[in-house]
Amino acid sequence: MIEVAGLTKRYGEHRAVDDLSFTAPAGKVTGFVGPNGAGKTTTFRCLLGLAEPTAGVALVDGLRYRDLAAPRRQVGAVLESMGFHPARSGRNHLRVLARAAGIEPARIDPLLDLVGLRGAAERRVGGYSLGMRQRLGLAAALLGDPPTIVLDEPVNGLDPAGVAWVRRLLRAWADEGRTVLVSSHLLVELAQVADRVVVIRDGHRVTEADVSSLAGSVTVRVDRPDAMVAALLAAGVGHELRGDGAISVPGCEPAEVGRIAARASVAVTELARATVGDSLEAMFFTATGGDGRG
Amino acid sequence: MGDLVAAEWLKLRTTRLVYGTAAAAVLLSVAAVTGAVLATDRSGTPLTSTRGLEQILSVTGTGALMVLLTGVLVAAGEHRHGTAADTFLTTPRRHRVVLAKLAVSAGAGLAAGLITAAASLATAAALFTVEGATFPVGDGDVWLTLAGTLAYTTLFALLGVALGTLIRNQVLAIAVALAWIGIVEHILISLAPSIARWLPAMAGLAVVRSPIDDVLSPLGGLVVLTLYTVAICGAGLRFAVARDV
Repeated sequence: MIEVAGLTKRYGEHRAVDDLSFTAPAGKVTGFVGPNGAGKTTTFRCLLGLAEPTAGVALVDGLRYRDLAAPRRQVGAVLESMGFHPARSGRNHLRVLARAAGIEPARIDPLLDLVGLRGAAERRVGGYSLGMRQRLGLAAALLGDPPTIVLDEPVNGLDPAGVAWVRRLLRAWADEGRTVLVSSHLLVELAQVADRVVVIRDGHRVTEADVSSLAGSVTVRVDRPDAMVAALLAAGVGHELRGDGAISVPGCEPAEVGRIAARASVAVTELARATVGDSLEAMFFTATGGDGRG
Repeated sequence: MGDLVAAEWLKLRTTRLVYGTAAAAVLLSVAAVTGAVLATDRSGTPLTSTRGLEQILSVTGTGALMVLLTGVLVAAGEHRHGTAADTFLTTPRRHRVVLAKLAVSAGAGLAAGLITAAASLATAAALFTVEGATFPVGDGDVWLTLAGTLAYTTLFALLGVALGTLIRNQVLAIAVALAWIGIVEHILISLAPSIARWLPAMAGLAVVRSPIDDVLSPLGGLVVLTLYTVAICGAGLRFAVARDV
């Protein structure tokens, strides 16, 4: 369980993180989303003891990172700022970390298999692609089999198959009861896997929600919108007439919307179901005031 | 702490840095000794005289410059390559990382000192033979100087780690080290020798019994150089290590 309370990090006059509070519970994937520069990485650095908060706390299982007894066995993290010595092999990178953390080196081979780097393990990291570095970072984070996993933009540099693979890993970890906190500036990457989302902008939390509370909705276009709106009102179904003439009907199935239209003798020209991901995205853009281009 | 020292040793062994700088240290010392033998012979000073031996053997520590730079890279290189974050995630009590680096660098510096001293000794002995002189293997001062080379090289490794801890920017740390030794102290030697003798590089030359005027005693140099290392490392631990990464 991760708790962030009143976290503030100032650089001179600039507040990179400003009185931020949220929690990431065990057994759930918590998506931490916001445009580039929103303060996601700074929040993670404070959480991981790499940066000192100006005010507030960021705790893992009730403790500050530096007070953890065996940090590498309690938290696994991948940050964008993490690098590798270009002349060191992938395997040796993991050996160094395992040695420093007192973790048995026998864990290295299975992890190399898991992230698909067994064949490249003896090569110098300087020759790795961005995706291979992401995979090596992931293996490093998993060395101590930690119950809490914190990933900053984990799918950057991965191909679509790699992205799907990371999503499956996140899901599996949460299902095992681990706390998973994962940031992204692209919400769609997380929509399919996150149980909760925390949206931040300019260092502030703008919203925090369970994804299950975000119902899907149906978008319908008809030849006579006024008649359709009247019919929906009569049926007691919540709806919203959008500027482009489409009607958005949250929490409703397409079949039900179709029946209402039929009873009102309205011709349906388009009927589409919006997924939870679409709802998330709409919420994200409303909350951040952005247009999705970061 | 044992695991940390082992990890730092593994870090040092798993890049090519240490092999390259060790080779460079040996080459530098051998070249310096060769030059010193030829220069001493040319100037008419007998090779086996006290003055001659001092001139020749005091340069066996020349390779320590490479050891100093290695120490800087061991400490500041973590920030250069972005491995500092992973290192501090593993060991949030960061001073322990610095202590482990000091321990490993002391060992590596001592090893480098042994190799350069042995190579220098062999070079000097060979050149003496060529010049028709007999190298005074039984001379106690010879061995004292070589012991000084070991101490000098080891302390320079520690000084490098200390400097790289205080100045996290690797390029800046190297520039400061080279400018200090190559420019600042050289100027001060001619301008104010009574002050210059207390500075780190001059203290180092005292340790290797360099026949320069005004240097401290070997033991005095050892103490002064140690104090500089402790002071710079202390400043690094106090002001630099806790900073955000």
